[in-house]
Amino acid sequence: MKKRTKAILLNTIALLAIYFFTTILIANKGVNNYVSGIIITVLITIIMTASLNVTTGLLGQLALGHAGFMAIGAYASALFTRSVGIAFGLSLPISLLLGGLMAAVFGFLIGTPALRLTGDYLAIITLGFGEIIRVVIENLEFTGGAAGLTRITRMSRAFSSDTAVSTAVQFSIVFWITVVIIASIFTLGRSRHGRAIISIRENVVASEAIGIPTTRYKLLAFTIAAFFAGIAGGLYAHQTGILNAKIFGFNKSIEYLVIVVLGGMGSITGSIIASIILVTLPEMLRGLAEYRLIIYSLVLILMMLFRPSGLLGTREFSLLDFWEWAERFFRKVFKGKTSETKMPFTPRYDVWEEKPVLEICRLGISFGGLRAADDVNLCLMNNEIVGLIGPNGAGKTTIFNMLTGVYIPTDGDINLLGKRINGLAPHEITKNGIARTFQNIRLFKSMTVLENIKVAFHSRMHYSTLSGILRDSDCTSEERGIDIRARELLRVFQMEDVADAPSSSLPYGQQRKLEICRALASNPKVLLLDEPAAGMNPMETTELMQTIKTIRNRFSVAILLIEHDMKLVMGICERIYVLNYGKVIAEGTPEQIRNNPGVIAAYLGSADARPGSMGGLAHA
Amino acid sequence: MNLFFNQLINGLHVGSIYALIALGYTMVYGIVKLINFAHGDIIMVGAYTAVITLATLGWSTPAALFSAIVACVVFGVLIERLAYKPLRRSPRISSLITAIGVSMLLQNAALLVFGAQPRPFPTILSMPPLRVHTLQISFNTVLTIVVSGILMVFLQGFVQMSKTGKAMRAVSEDYNTAQLMGINVNNTITTTFVIGCTLAGIGSFLYCMAYPSVYPTLGALPGLKAFIAAVLGGIGIIPGAMLGGFVMGVAESLTKAYISSQLSDAVVYGILIIVLMVKPAGLLGKKMSEKV
Repeated sequence: MKKRTKAILLNTIALLAIYFFTTILIANKGVNNYVSGIIITVLITIIMTASLNVTTGLLGQLALGHAGFMAIGAYASALFTRSVGIAFGLSLPISLLLGGLMAAVFGFLIGTPALRLTGDYLAIITLGFGEIIRVVIENLEFTGGAAGLTRITRMSRAFSSDTAVSTAVQFSIVFWITVVIIASIFTLGRSRHGRAIISIRENVVASEAIGIPTTRYKLLAFTIAAFFAGIAGGLYAHQTGILNAKIFGFNKSIEYLVIVVLGGMGSITGSIIASIILVTLPEMLRGLAEYRLIIYSLVLILMMLFRPSGLLGTREFSLLDFWEWAERFFRKVFKGKTSETKMPFTPRYDVWEEKPVLEICRLGISFGGLRAADDVNLCLMNNEIVGLIGPNGAGKTTIFNMLTGVYIPTDGDINLLGKRINGLAPHEITKNGIARTFQNIRLFKSMTVLENIKVAFHSRMHYSTLSGILRDSDCTSEERGIDIRARELLRVFQMEDVADAPSSSLPYGQQRKLEICRALASNPKVLLLDEPAAGMNPMETTELMQTIKTIRNRFSVAILLIEHDMKLVMGICERIYVLNYGKVIAEGTPEQIRNNPGVIAAYLGSADARPGSMGGLAHA
Repeated sequence: MNLFFNQLINGLHVGSIYALIALGYTMVYGIVKLINFAHGDIIMVGAYTAVITLATLGWSTPAALFSAIVACVVFGVLIERLAYKPLRRSPRISSLITAIGVSMLLQNAALLVFGAQPRPFPTILSMPPLRVHTLQISFNTVLTIVVSGILMVFLQGFVQMSKTGKAMRAVSEDYNTAQLMGINVNNTITTTFVIGCTLAGIGSFLYCMAYPSVYPTLGALPGLKAFIAAVLGGIGIIPGAMLGGFVMGVAESLTKAYISSQLSDAVVYGILIIVLMVKPAGLLGKKMSEKV
């Protein structure tokens, strides 16, 4: 906590220094109108790029229509201040908020259909929406049509008869709005909501599987980005005094995207630095006249060739690292306040000893004509370790996918703790108590080990997006709570010492263990392990068996695992189901399964395993 | 009714140019998953080459056409080798930004060399318009539609049947496996650029015949529209690019005639959005979902 107080103080001092220096400079005519105009443009660009970075960097979705939201904000706010008869000092803040809200509404309306797409298709559809916004504004009567809007009150004239003073007021307004927006993007990014958004960028399937409502978070990020872009638009309108929809076209969106990428996608400070450089660079090159844009584009290309991940990559610039020497002094002055710690949840210790925790009745699914699972009955008692085996293509992972909501079963029932869960979305099923791991590891690679676990706590936490942005006591107390829980969990698996390492740096066996650990963090009643030993060497497998036993002893959870490693299956499972061609062909203790002729036939192949099938070994 | 058919044919005319350009986008996208934003500016390079050889140097039409193609191919391959190839293993967004940079570079270099003043493209064909019943169809239109049609059929055959075409499809499916099968991936990618730029060269010639004015940002708009056509049809799919181009062209010219010429862009984007909502991978695309 002390470290955070220190960081806040340092940043505040730096901001105040920049602010007073610039304001005094402007108010005393230390810079001319041209330069102060560029300063305002830089700030507006910072808002635009930082907000675009929420969609593109944090959420990881390419959007090419960001200027469209800026246009909506600009027009909404300009039309408002032009038409109401109240003092500009009052109408400006209202109009900015209105511009932001209008843009947010459009962001929400556009995002709802558009975010079903991903990748380049999303990029194109946002491009399409952005252009439509521009064309429509150009053709509407009340927005001034193609001629645009004129006579919008300019901030650099409105506040005082002395232009220099009014310009200084304008700088103050834009500067502090920018600061507040950047700060809220930062705090949002570090809250549980931010973690949820970043986890979508890292691996959307895993994110959904540990209980993140991904659609909602995509939309949230998109809407927030639009909101800030709308505010930037409002500022822009009252900076220039005239609006023409043409400038909010595709090229404007691209311009902002370029800055975001050059600064580093996912790095907000990177966007700030890149905005400053890329807005001022063409102005500084003005002396070179026609060579200016050629140099600009060459810089762009060379920059990408030599630093493809941008100036800062996904890292953030921190004043704290710069001012380490101040540490002792600040520690003396500021003592971190202590407040109560709120635990995000208490683990479920409810007893389900009589009834099975998971009961599958007559479950089946068809893909076209293929019956991938048919009439599957299966049950899991509390604290039981059950194996699900069968030859390749028997339908094992299909069953997992139905249990976790990835596929919707065509018939049958899945009852979890007595509640029917067929057809629920994956994140809802996770909330109800099923967690899984994947055949191929799906970690959030750029996040640390600890953060991977924290994402999984998401659905057990309660503080709102606004609390996250404001970092109020709801947020901080819960965050501290999950920090403790997450470290506890890592300690159980002897991974506490790597808590702050990036998850991609772990060795293979550890990554598997982390995935299991992450699944447990969602506090499941049933844990599904999909080939946990795949790719492991014998030593790692032995360790894994130990880990699974630890889970059973320490957590109140039933485990269902798919595995081909018979040593592991026979070694730890209490009961085993054997699947072949989508049907359960045997069920029993390891001993019974080992001697079951049907199972041997299915594995080694024989004439009566399936009529007409070509057996493998038995015929050889 | 006459108006309708006239607009339909105009639409096919523009559409077939879009389709030719879209093929360049779609092939490059198919093989390196890169939205080659500079492709539109390759058109501009071809247009300037054509106008200079025709008007300034006084070459014959075939020689001018050939030099336009050569210029496009040389630029395309140089861009690929210098700007895109080093980034093949980087995040895709970096190559996208590079492509945008290259596009800006080409436009501004052209502005510097040729100036902003548009140059008129000479009339090279003065044939009487064809009369079908009560319709008048200009010879340009017929030529454009026929040439693009033949090129597209030829290209589809090439990609489906030739050895190089198979290599291209293999690289586009799986870069690494194609390499292991003994395919020279670098050459295959270069070939793709060569083909795309050849089509762009021919496209630029046909485009200038339709809109006889050459200026530095000439390629931006048809480039963007052609790219959207490629996405509309299903990016990476050759027949998709053709279909997308025709749909775009027809939609555009019908909107201009019946609704409003200002809103034609909005209608085109609207069609794109509706198509993507209903068929997220484009008209002819197949949706691939990630296996869990």
